[in-house]
Amino acid sequence: MVELNDVIYRAGGALILDDVTVRFEPGKLNVVLGPNGAGKSTLLRLATGIVRPTSGEVRYDGEPVAGLAPEPLARRRAVLSQHVELAFALPVDDVVMMGRYPHYGRVPSGRDREIVNSALELVGMEHKREQPYPTLSGGERQKVQLARVLAQIWSDDEREHRYLFLDEPTSGLDVHYQLHILRVARGLLSPQCTVVAVLHDLNVAFEFGDHFVLLENGRIAVEAATSSEIPAAVIERVFRVRARRVESADHAGDYWRFDL
Amino acid sequence: MTRRSDRTVYLLLALCLAISLVASASIGAFTFSPATIARFVGESAGWIPERASDALGRSVFFQLRLPRVLMGALAGAVLGVSGTLMQGLFRNPIVEPGLAGTSSGAALGAALVFVLGGGALAFRAPAGVVAVPLFAFAGAFGATMLVYKISSSFGKVNVFTLLLAGIAVNAVCAAGTGFLSYIARDPQARNITFWSLGTFTTADWRGVALVGVCFAASFVYALGCAKPLNALMLGEDEAAFLGADPQRLIVRLLVVNTVMVAATTAMVGVIAFVGLVIPHVLRMLRSSSYTFLLPASALLGATLMEVVDVVARLVIAPAELPIGIITAVIGAPVFLWILLREQRQGSAGFYG
Repeated sequence: MVELNDVIYRAGGALILDDVTVRFEPGKLNVVLGPNGAGKSTLLRLATGIVRPTSGEVRYDGEPVAGLAPEPLARRRAVLSQHVELAFALPVDDVVMMGRYPHYGRVPSGRDREIVNSALELVGMEHKREQPYPTLSGGERQKVQLARVLAQIWSDDEREHRYLFLDEPTSGLDVHYQLHILRVARGLLSPQCTVVAVLHDLNVAFEFGDHFVLLENGRIAVEAATSSEIPAAVIERVFRVRARRVESADHAGDYWRFDL
Repeated sequence: MTRRSDRTVYLLLALCLAISLVASASIGAFTFSPATIARFVGESAGWIPERASDALGRSVFFQLRLPRVLMGALAGAVLGVSGTLMQGLFRNPIVEPGLAGTSSGAALGAALVFVLGGGALAFRAPAGVVAVPLFAFAGAFGATMLVYKISSSFGKVNVFTLLLAGIAVNAVCAAGTGFLSYIARDPQARNITFWSLGTFTTADWRGVALVGVCFAASFVYALGCAKPLNALMLGEDEAAFLGADPQRLIVRLLVVNTVMVAATTAMVGVIAFVGLVIPHVLRMLRSSSYTFLLPASALLGATLMEVVDVVARLVIAPAELPIGIITAVIGAPVFLWILLREQRQGSAGFYG
C-alpha cells in the first residue's frame, strides 16, 4: 500500500498540491484523474519518492519513503513515464537490462538475463530484442519501456511488496498499444503489488481502473471505486465540459460522452 | 548481452595499440628495430649483459623515446575517455573537453605560469615543477565548474545553456591566453604557441608518472559509473527511478574528468578533436553502452595518438609538426563526414 499523508507541495511560490491524503491499495489498479495542471504528475512524482513533499509524508506499507536509500527503493519501485527517448542508440535488450541495474554489480547474472527475456515476452517484444531502440515505433518503444520497468521490480520472492507507477503511459499511442499496456498492468495486480496510474482518457480509465482519485486544483475532488459513483456534476465542473453517461447496449460497461 | 564479443573487440583494440606502441617506439630521428628495443629492455632489466656500444642508443631510447611514446598513449587514452564521459554526462554527442571549457581553462592556467612564472610569480624548483599542472588544474576546474554552474539551474543541467556557457567561457580563456602570449617575450611566447597546439617533445618520466596516476585513478572511478551513465541515456528522472543519483554522478564525474584532462593538458598542451571523434567511431563500430565505450575509448584513443605522433615526427622530418594541427586536420574532416553520413541516414536518430 502507498499512502500520502497531509502532503503539501509548493514550487516557486505556487501551491501545487494542497493537503492531499490518499491511500493506494495493492491488488487494485489505482487511477489518478484530473484536468491539465491539477497536480496529477506532481502527485505521482511525490508518490515515487523522487521528489520530497514540502510537508507531509509518503509511506510504502508503513515505511517512510524518505528513509529509503535510492537503490533498495529502486528494487521495489518502478516508474513508466511517457515518451522515453534514448540519447544514443542501444539494442532493445540492453534497454530492458537497465531495469536490472539496481539488482546486480558489474555483470548481470544468468537470472537477470532470464528476467529480461521473460519481461520482453510478457510485452510481446521478444522478436525485436536485438533491434536498435530508436528504430522502433512509439508504441513499440513504450512496450520496451514497460518491459524494462517490469524487469526492474521482477521478484522471485512472491511475498516482497512492489510498487509500480505509470505516468500517462498510453498518451499518444494507438488503441492497440493503449489496451495492451493497460492489460499488462492489470495482469500484475496482486496482494503484493500496488499499481498507480495517471490516465488522461476518462473512458479508458473507467474501463481499466478499480479506484479513482479525481484531482482539482491540487485537492482531491472525489474518490470512488467505480465510475458510477462519480456524480456527472463533478466531472462537468472539474473538466469544464458537459458529460453524460451512456449505457452500452451489450452491457459491456457504461461510457461517458462529453460535449463543450 | 554481448559480453563475450566485447572481449574480442578489446583484444583486437589492445593488439592495435601494441602494434602502434612498438611502431611509435621504433620510428623517429633514431630508428630502433623491435629487436633492438627488446635488447635494450633486456639489458636494463639485467636479463642480458649490457653492451658498451648500446649506451647512447639506450639513453636516447629510455630518456627521450619511451617517455614520449607512453605520454602519447596516456594522453590519447585520457582524451578518449574524457570525450566519452562528457558526452555521457551531457547526453550529447558534440560535447568534448574542448567545448566545456576544460581544455581552455587548463591552457590559461598553464600560460599564466609560462609567462609570469619567471617574474611576477617567481617560481623556483621544486615549486616550478608542479606549478604548471597545478595552475592548469585550477584553470580547468574553475572553467568547467563555471560552465556547469551557469548551465545547471533547479538542480538540472540544461544542454543548450551548457553549450552557450562553454562558448563564452572558452572565449574568455582564449582571450586571456592570447593576451599572455601577446605580452610574453619571445621564448615564452614560442612556448605557449607550441604548447597550445599540443606537443609530446617535452615528455619526461615525471610527466608520464603524473598523467599515469591521474588517468588510472580517474579511469577506475569512471568504470564504476558505467551503469548509471547508461541509465542517464534515458534522462535524469529515469536514471533516478533506477536508483542512481544523477546530480551527484554529474558533479563527481566532472571532477574526475577535470583531474585527468588538466594533468594531461599541463604536460602536452591542447589537443583537439580526439575526445570528440573516438566515442563517435566506437558507437558506429559497435555499441553505445558505456560498459563497452569506456575501456574501448581508452584503447582506441591511445592507438590513435600513437599514429598521429608518428605522423608528426615524419611529415616534415627532421622537424616536427605540433600534434594538435594533425588531429584537427584529420579529425575535422572525419567529423564532418560522420555528420553528413548521419544526416543522410536521417530519421533514426544518432547512430540509429
